[in-house]
Amino acid sequence: MLDHAQQRLLETRLASIGVGRRDFLRLLAGMTTAGSMFLTTAVPTVHAAPAPGDKLAKVQVFRRGDFNDEPASFDINKDLYCGCEFTVFAGLMRFTPDFVAVPWMAEHVESNADGSVWTFRLRKEAKWSNGEALTAHDFAWSWKRQLDPATAAPYSAFLYDLKNAEAFNKGQITARDAVGVKALDDRTLQATLEGPRSYFPVLVAYYAALPAHRPSVEKYGDKWTEATNIVSNGPWVLEGWGHNQQFTLKKNPHYFDRDHITLERVVVPILPRAAGLLPYENNEVDYALVPPGDLRRLQADANVSQQVSRYFYPGTFYLVPQVVAPPFDHLKVRRAVSHAIDRRIIAERVSQGFGIPAHGMIPPGLPGHFDDEALQQLQRFDPKLALESLKGTPYEGGKHWPKIAISMRDEPYAAKPMAEALQAMLQDVLHMPTELEVLEPRVFRERLWKQDLQLIWIRWFMDYPDPHNEYFDTFYGKRTTGKRQAWSNEVFDDLITKARGELDPQTRMALYRQAEEVLQAHVGYVPVVWTVRYVAFKPWVKGLPRNKAGHIVPDGNIYRGMLEHIYIVEH
Amino acid sequence: MALMLRRGKKPSPEVSLWQDAWRRLRRNRLAVLGGLVIIALGLAAAFADAIAPYHYTKANFLHAYEFPNRDFPLGTDPLGRDMLSRLIYGARVSMLVGFVAQLMVVSIGVPIGALAGYYGGTVDLLIMRGVDVMYAFPRLLFVILIMAMLGAGLLNIFIAIGLTGWVNIARLTRAQILALKAQEFSEGARAVGASGPRVLCRHLLPNALSPIIVAVTFGIPEAIFTEAALSFIGVGINPPTASWGQMVGEYQQYILSYWYLCVFPSAAIAVTMLSFTFVGDGVRDALDPKLRD
Amino acid sequence: MMFYLIRRILWLIPTLLAMALVTFLVMHATPGSPLEPEGGNNPLSPAEQNNLAAKYGLDRPLWAQFGVFLVNAMQGDFGHSYVYKTRTVAEILGDAFPVSLRLGAMALVIATCLGVGLGVLAAVHQNSFWDYLSVTTAMVAVSIPNFVMAVFLILLFSFLIPVLPTGGWGGPRDWVLPTVTLALAPMAIIARYTRASMLEVIHADYIRTARAKGLTDTAVISKHVLKNAFIPVLTLLGPLFAAVGTGSFFVESIFRVPGMGRFFVISMTGRDYPMIMAVVLCYGVFLAVMNLLVDLLYGVLDPRIRVGAKG
Repeated sequence: MLDHAQQRLLETRLASIGVGRRDFLRLLAGMTTAGSMFLTTAVPTVHAAPAPGDKLAKVQVFRRGDFNDEPASFDINKDLYCGCEFTVFAGLMRFTPDFVAVPWMAEHVESNADGSVWTFRLRKEAKWSNGEALTAHDFAWSWKRQLDPATAAPYSAFLYDLKNAEAFNKGQITARDAVGVKALDDRTLQATLEGPRSYFPVLVAYYAALPAHRPSVEKYGDKWTEATNIVSNGPWVLEGWGHNQQFTLKKNPHYFDRDHITLERVVVPILPRAAGLLPYENNEVDYALVPPGDLRRLQADANVSQQVSRYFYPGTFYLVPQVVAPPFDHLKVRRAVSHAIDRRIIAERVSQGFGIPAHGMIPPGLPGHFDDEALQQLQRFDPKLALESLKGTPYEGGKHWPKIAISMRDEPYAAKPMAEALQAMLQDVLHMPTELEVLEPRVFRERLWKQDLQLIWIRWFMDYPDPHNEYFDTFYGKRTTGKRQAWSNEVFDDLITKARGELDPQTRMALYRQAEEVLQAHVGYVPVVWTVRYVAFKPWVKGLPRNKAGHIVPDGNIYRGMLEHIYIVEH
Repeated sequence: MALMLRRGKKPSPEVSLWQDAWRRLRRNRLAVLGGLVIIALGLAAAFADAIAPYHYTKANFLHAYEFPNRDFPLGTDPLGRDMLSRLIYGARVSMLVGFVAQLMVVSIGVPIGALAGYYGGTVDLLIMRGVDVMYAFPRLLFVILIMAMLGAGLLNIFIAIGLTGWVNIARLTRAQILALKAQEFSEGARAVGASGPRVLCRHLLPNALSPIIVAVTFGIPEAIFTEAALSFIGVGINPPTASWGQMVGEYQQYILSYWYLCVFPSAAIAVTMLSFTFVGDGVRDALDPKLRD
Repeated sequence: MMFYLIRRILWLIPTLLAMALVTFLVMHATPGSPLEPEGGNNPLSPAEQNNLAAKYGLDRPLWAQFGVFLVNAMQGDFGHSYVYKTRTVAEILGDAFPVSLRLGAMALVIATCLGVGLGVLAAVHQNSFWDYLSVTTAMVAVSIPNFVMAVFLILLFSFLIPVLPTGGWGGPRDWVLPTVTLALAPMAIIARYTRASMLEVIHADYIRTARAKGLTDTAVISKHVLKNAFIPVLTLLGPLFAAVGTGSFFVESIFRVPGMGRFFVISMTGRDYPMIMAVVLCYGVFLAVMNLLVDLLYGVLDPRIRVGAKG
């Protein structure tokens, strides 16, 4: 019943929550019928039917208050960071609230024996919002559009696993047909990769693989995502866009699963961060993200605290001591930094609960997450040990420090207070005086690529739930583009490369575990907190998606589909 | 002009304008109050190390976000640092921002305005057109532009405020120099009997300097405000330096939950602003020849 | 008079040119290139950067870029926004500028009316309760930054006395709070100056003459005092336009007013060169026009100050 890909995915998921291989095989045996290798299920239908006793409101309109900035456009294919609502488009795969990649516009996913060629078969009910059929050609064209250097898409490197994609994107070859994605017919898309890549379906579920509507692009150019022009294939259609004020979505009448969606319209006002939580508290919106300053106040109120939910926004805040310049070119100094930081205080006190202490790169609940005793011990908070670690370096006893600057980019969610806390800790324990440099995003990133920063305070938000994203995209030493730090290590690189093509999930996770240990042993980075966020839903909003553990999973960077589950009750 | 429009008594010739101004200033209660507050702030800034109960970087993580209590009379900030101490140290930075920025404004504006006024002609024309261009820039926008170019930091704030604020002073200086020039030729030599530098220093200059002094006095709180605005946007002073403006800008988001974080620095700025306003008003009234008695 | 007007308008051109040049130079001197994408894990590849630079016209030498900008600007084409991909700068500002204009105008009208009213009240009843009340109100209004004041007002009028929304720009109810917040500081300044100048005029010789002639107090006030007292207030209006224009950034953010103020910071952080140039020029033209109007009004109000006779 399950094909090889699904099997591996399922095993990975189960492994990360503790289900061992033997149990998994037992499970699998129970699920198999014939020895068929093809997938038959599509999206698991978890749409919540209104619970008994819930009286649906007459007007099913949801007002969401989590958009702080006017979207740059709705052209996700070209500009992943356009800041719009992603579910206006639909990809071949998508993520469930448990962060498992499942087919969406596709109905079949299969790979060849070593995982270097993947074939997707589209479902026949898949349509664009103007009634046209969604074809494999749309995806092939869209992916090549993203890779085309003329498009200058900010995350074109996302698709570098496709054969010849990198060469095409860098202008080394100009023949589009050489890129390893091809529509075999209207409903079959084949992706030929540079090598075995077991995580490819997971990759395809991320928003960077969303399609664009070719006729509209060719007709309207950059204006094709204006509300009057846009044609999309997701559950929602952009109905109206009052620039800088709000945009509205309505249910896509041609979406194949529209009958399971209760909401009719979604109104999204643009609420600048300066406005805070006031619109939500004034009942002008039904949903908002809770800013760090307001959490305690909401939790203290008996009524309102019911509306607040906690969820993991998969990401990691970490320090990178740049290994090419003093004082962090000494391993001992880096180790001292690792022991000088009290992660618990930063997570609980300084970030007000918007983080939990981190001892590795991958946050909890995701494949590849480790947080065991050994790893924690390696980085435990121990001021005496920290100071002792400096023995043998020119800074023994915490003296003679050179000028040190912690650089960060200006961002919300307590990033600055956390950096200041780190400053205080480094000063207290290691007598290391530091300056905090808060840079604008562009300036920060430019200096980042040049490895011009000394001690970097940076966060990584997971793109897709696979360790490849954390380890390869951030720490791989031979990255051809976007190398964030100067640290690199042969052993680490080998492990990552091997893990990339490894098909057996257990072996793969073991490789990543080793890689993490190498990273930690050389203190290539110092993880500090995993990010946690809080959302508030008005009591009349029901049907919120939940994961297997029963926690609410709102829209985030990975899972995005709460609008299809929500319904409004009378109030 | 300076000696017309008196009401009643003749000026006693032994009392110069300066002395008279000082006397009048002293009698202005609000101005005196303002002056005392400013002196107190100056002392607090200078002796912060002695007065402040804690160092402004001393983080007490276990006491973060505490409302005013016995240990921390004005509460603690997100890192558990004492607000009172940070406010006292903040006086230092805020005073610096106010005074140094104005110093830059004066050192750019007065020479430019004087040049324009003294030489006249093409020089004047060119300079005044430059002034027009600067006037057409909304001030805060230009400050943000310059801060983006230079990056965050205290020195850059001085530069940005200095580079944008000189215009008014230049205009005033020029106007005063022009008036002085007119007087030199018309009445100065004859009317009083004594002529030349003596007349200038004792009678004319105080009047000439008056609007400039007043403008500078009002410019100081304005500079502090600008710094707060910059911090609110995110291009202000870098932590852990404490400044009132930086505290107001950064803690505005906490008004509903931890009001004391934003209210106390705001109050500090407000009090400073009021003090300078009273002093400025007082100085202007004191130097105003029409109110001489 | 006509001559003066024409001369002033003609002087506008080199002024705007100089403004554009200064902005252009500062903009290009700022670190952080628009070719660096907004977010993400990598910089653009060199091929992509070249393409983008060509599209933005950034591959030409600086003087050529400036020239192209000027030629296009004179035809009303300010280019495409680097940040907002679906619209041209002219479209964006065409929507946003009228909003800011209306907000600013309303704020100034309120500030002037209330400010003058308060100032007159205080001056006429000098040293009485009203005087102290209005002076204190003015002091408080001007010494609190408007992004702090905004939150207090929202608390007061949206939560405590729930009559107004927390923001938006849909109808008249939405206009109230942003306008009041923006008007408070200017109102205070106008009130102070009105009071001061009225006091000066009231005690001046020619008023005593009018009184001696037998005119009643009200007649004296309305006929002579107000007109002459208003002149210093008029002096303020020029800089106040500028202050309201720039202060609007905070008010527009907190009350989510879709005006131009927000764009300045957004276009700076986004290194949106066409937008930055257009925003600065917009403000420049607006301020210059306002200053001209103020100068003309001077001439209307005070025959002694006839425009055209200035040095």
